[in-house]
Amino acid sequence: MTSIEARAIRPHDESFTPERSPFVWLVEREILRFLNIWRYAVLGPVLSAVLFVVIFGSALGRHVDPIAGVTYGQFIVGGLLAQAILSVGFFNGTTSLYEARHDKYIHDVFASPLRWWEINAALVTGGMVRGIIVGAGFMAIAAPLAQIGGVVRPFVFAFGTLGVLVVASQIGVIAGSLAKSLDQVYSMESIIVLPLGVLGGVFYSIQQLAPPWGVATALNPVFWLVQVERIGLLGHGDVSAASALIAVWVLALALSIWSAVIFGSGRLKA
Amino acid sequence: MGNAGPAALSIKGLRKVYRDGLTAVSDLDLELADGAFFGLLGPNGAGKTTLIGSVCNIVRPTAGQLSVFGHDYRTRAARRLIGLAEQEINVDRFLSIRQLLVYHAGYHGIGRKTAVRRADELLQRFRLDHKADGRAYELSGGMQRRLVLARALIHQPRLLILDEPTAGVDVELRSEIWRLVKGLNATGTTILLTTHYLQEAETLCDEIALILAGRIVDRGSAASLRDRYEARDISEVYDRVIAAEAAS
Repeated sequence: MTSIEARAIRPHDESFTPERSPFVWLVEREILRFLNIWRYAVLGPVLSAVLFVVIFGSALGRHVDPIAGVTYGQFIVGGLLAQAILSVGFFNGTTSLYEARHDKYIHDVFASPLRWWEINAALVTGGMVRGIIVGAGFMAIAAPLAQIGGVVRPFVFAFGTLGVLVVASQIGVIAGSLAKSLDQVYSMESIIVLPLGVLGGVFYSIQQLAPPWGVATALNPVFWLVQVERIGLLGHGDVSAASALIAVWVLALALSIWSAVIFGSGRLKA
Repeated sequence: MGNAGPAALSIKGLRKVYRDGLTAVSDLDLELADGAFFGLLGPNGAGKTTLIGSVCNIVRPTAGQLSVFGHDYRTRAARRLIGLAEQEINVDRFLSIRQLLVYHAGYHGIGRKTAVRRADELLQRFRLDHKADGRAYELSGGMQRRLVLARALIHQPRLLILDEPTAGVDVELRSEIWRLVKGLNATGTTILLTTHYLQEAETLCDEIALILAGRIVDRGSAASLRDRYEARDISEVYDRVIAAEAAS
């Protein structure tokens, strides 16, 4: 008999007192997951977003008039930051949760002492950490390229970015919980997330559009994510800072409630 | 084994109807004494995996009360006491083999040092130490089966649930798994086992239940079942129960 069989039997009447929080373990696993695939998960999104600044901002931007007193390169950085965070948040949640459901290793998590809200929060935190790394990487290159000296409204930028991170991560987790196939995951990205990003005012101001298109853009949730980043960075946008912050946080709250209902109701279980 | 404490597993009125309308388990009652070696036998689709999934918080029961050593099955106190080795090989593809074990221990609240020590101990015990830094999908079927079993054991469960643990493994590994499970049971771990190897269930289990169409149709020790059905062995009992149910 080895030590595995010969160990003392665990008492059955002890309360659960973890040496280290299972939630912290799951967050660590989520971070480790994307760091293991860092070229795809981190480097790729940073480079893609930076390329937009190089091509649209530096090369083509010379032929575009300043918008609200800033160069075109400076104008698009905030929106590109929002779009990069949205894209990585979406893919982080969908791939992590969809793969876990598909390969059924989520059973390992459900069967453990982790509570439903800890599982939900760990998945969201993983997406947020990835968004912070990608966002910071992008800003570290894009800000000097576009000659952005600093953040004009730090509170709006910090609180707004936090909201954008929550929104992006929650969208990913919700999509990952609803997707029934890999095709659905990728089609959600290409048919919903990407077009909403492009039409969300990343490359243009709502002031440049005819009224019906301006209204249509304002109905796009990504527009508000773009606005909050742009206002934070440059000090102004198409809407007021307060309305952008409120819109982003209402969206974050609504998505968090939706996600909580999915996890809390046990919908992810058979 | 001592029966003074609560039952290792108590199931009352378990019912599971899936979204497509399939009733997998119907008003099932079952009790396992602490320290038992319990075999659950039945054909594919009988409801074994649904029953196990319900106990392990993987399947959401439609109705019923389930408790593990007196704790509601959904509580953390209950879940830390259960170890599950599922029939399907379900392992995290993003982690290395050692990390799989360490993180599983972590989900059960175990600290890093202990988790790493136990992982290394189990990797050695299951002869997977030379593969520790590889990925589970690189392992052979038998090695994957050993890994799933090691994962089920790392948090030292008091109730070990094994769903077809020897499916698709060679004779040598099968004997090794049975030896290990017997050793665990001898030191007090309650075992709930499903298997298609009826003779082995007969030898290993001190009680056997026959499940069909989501209901326990009979249960007892191997000897009592043989007597009741005037059968030479459990295979014959099994055939007669299946035939009788099909006829009714």
